[in-house]
Amino acid sequence: MRVLKIYPEKCTGCLRCELACSYVQTGEFQPAKSVIRVSPFEGHTSYAPYTCTQCAEGWCMTACPVGAITISAVGAKDVLDDTCVGCKLCTIACPYGTMFYDPATRKAFKCNLCGGAPACAEACPTAAITYEDVATADWLGDFARERTTRVLTGVS
Amino acid sequence: MATRHLIIGGGTAGINAIRAIREEESERSEITLVSAEKPYSRMVLPYFLDRSIAESHVYTATARVLADWGVKTHLGRRAAALDAKANVCTLEDGTKVEFDDCLIATGSSPVKAPVPGADGRAVHSFWTLDEARAVIAELKPGGHVVMVGAGFIAFTILNSILSLGARLTIVEVAPRILPRMIDAAGAGLVEAWLKAHGVAIRTGVKLTRIADVKGRKQLTFAAGADIVADVVIMATGIKTNLDWLEGSGVVINRGVVVDDRQRANVPNVYAAGDIAEGRDLVTGALAVHAIEPTAQEHGRVAGANMAGKDLRYRGSLLVNIVEVCHLDVASFGAWDDATAEVATGLRADRPAYRKLLWRGDRLTGAIILGPSSDVWATNDVGMLKGLVQSRVSLARWKAHLKRNPFDIKPAFIASKTTSTLLPETILGRPSKAPGDTPVAV
Repeated sequence: MRVLKIYPEKCTGCLRCELACSYVQTGEFQPAKSVIRVSPFEGHTSYAPYTCTQCAEGWCMTACPVGAITISAVGAKDVLDDTCVGCKLCTIACPYGTMFYDPATRKAFKCNLCGGAPACAEACPTAAITYEDVATADWLGDFARERTTRVLTGVS
Repeated sequence: MATRHLIIGGGTAGINAIRAIREEESERSEITLVSAEKPYSRMVLPYFLDRSIAESHVYTATARVLADWGVKTHLGRRAAALDAKANVCTLEDGTKVEFDDCLIATGSSPVKAPVPGADGRAVHSFWTLDEARAVIAELKPGGHVVMVGAGFIAFTILNSILSLGARLTIVEVAPRILPRMIDAAGAGLVEAWLKAHGVAIRTGVKLTRIADVKGRKQLTFAAGADIVADVVIMATGIKTNLDWLEGSGVVINRGVVVDDRQRANVPNVYAAGDIAEGRDLVTGALAVHAIEPTAQEHGRVAGANMAGKDLRYRGSLLVNIVEVCHLDVASFGAWDDATAEVATGLRADRPAYRKLLWRGDRLTGAIILGPSSDVWATNDVGMLKGLVQSRVSLARWKAHLKRNPFDIKPAFIASKTTSTLLPETILGRPSKAPGDTPVAV
């Protein structure tokens, strides 16, 4: 299956992915509703986008008491709005912190790969986010380890 | 002859086990379900109470779905006795059901405070669908609800009661609210938040009597003024439904003691959910975790093993989350371990509170509290769960987090927690979607 592959060293921190994500997911340009989130590293001199890996277990999906999270045609774990009751169990079950909850609609939401045409990947001007047929992986771990040494300097 | 599986209890654990059996079996087996109630999710009853979902929405496996899965049912009947030597379960109407293996998943029941009047009119537990219907019938806008007990179950219906326009008073015998879910500092913030949202709270008060006075309910306490209310909801704890297992030959401690395959001391008897006492992922000790995620995981592991897989379970992680008046409150793992190393962060104005508990450089428990509109806090809820679940070594991030318990995300990512978590699955393979359970052919 195709997944979002992140090349963190290419990210410039422009946040176009967050704008595009929120626009496609909610119809409004509101990064607060984006399910891909750009994190700063090294005191805002480098950045990396972080989102759902579409993990094999699907902790959100197996935790849902009403079967409101399913696997879409493109293989994404996807929330069925009409079935979600807003109990938040998925937000605590997902060990990656990539489930979201909208207090206005009382629904959980997450990355659904935009049905196979991920807006974040299309919007990224530097190809830091691509949509590829590869096994999902920890795209940020090594990058973050290297780029956080300054934060940890002086920490015993 | 096809293997005969008997599932006793149609709650979360039982239904997950049935699905796992159908997903994992190599030859079609016979499955029989005994359940006192039609299968539904107790987790979603608060949303039925506030009328945001219809009653039809609460059911997890309708008669049609059970038929599709090829499950024979005895609904509306309870198991009364188990003979683990003869492989027979006797129902309360005398029906005997033979099995090759069985799953004990009879859950737990609410316990009311033992005071005069606790069984009277308009005094309810909030546990079953029937009790939810009864509360709905009596709860009127402008009415006064008194909730006895300030634990997790009570808090799951707090929003619903307020949204129906009722006034709410919470009384708790312990000196503070949520005594088994968060620590005193966190409880203080939640209490202040709720009072600011119009909820009356009295802690450290012992209920002694409930009386009917002029069509209303009068609650009397060991000390302090009486309270008059229209509806009383008792959320004073639960007990494991073990009584019917007396003489069964199954070893019972606080629950049915199970191994890492969810098997009891009798090899063809399994137990799952609230009634099972299995391994705690964090402490390694035996524990009863009466929570939805444990029932799901127990049920799936038991089902897979009943279907002939040899599947080991890593143990269950205690997690709880509840939202009250748009404030998220969550705790994980060994959050109340008095001997752990602790770091806390408090921002009373937001309000936001974090407590991190450590064994060496691994996170063993956490408490998080913050506004539900704060997406960063929502993400941190998941990441804290991931850190406790994965047991990654946080190395120098530990010292950083002890100084700033709010900076979870860089610690999570840079510790390569995702790498540790990605291979983890409960059934040793990718999960199937809820609609993909194999149906009868």
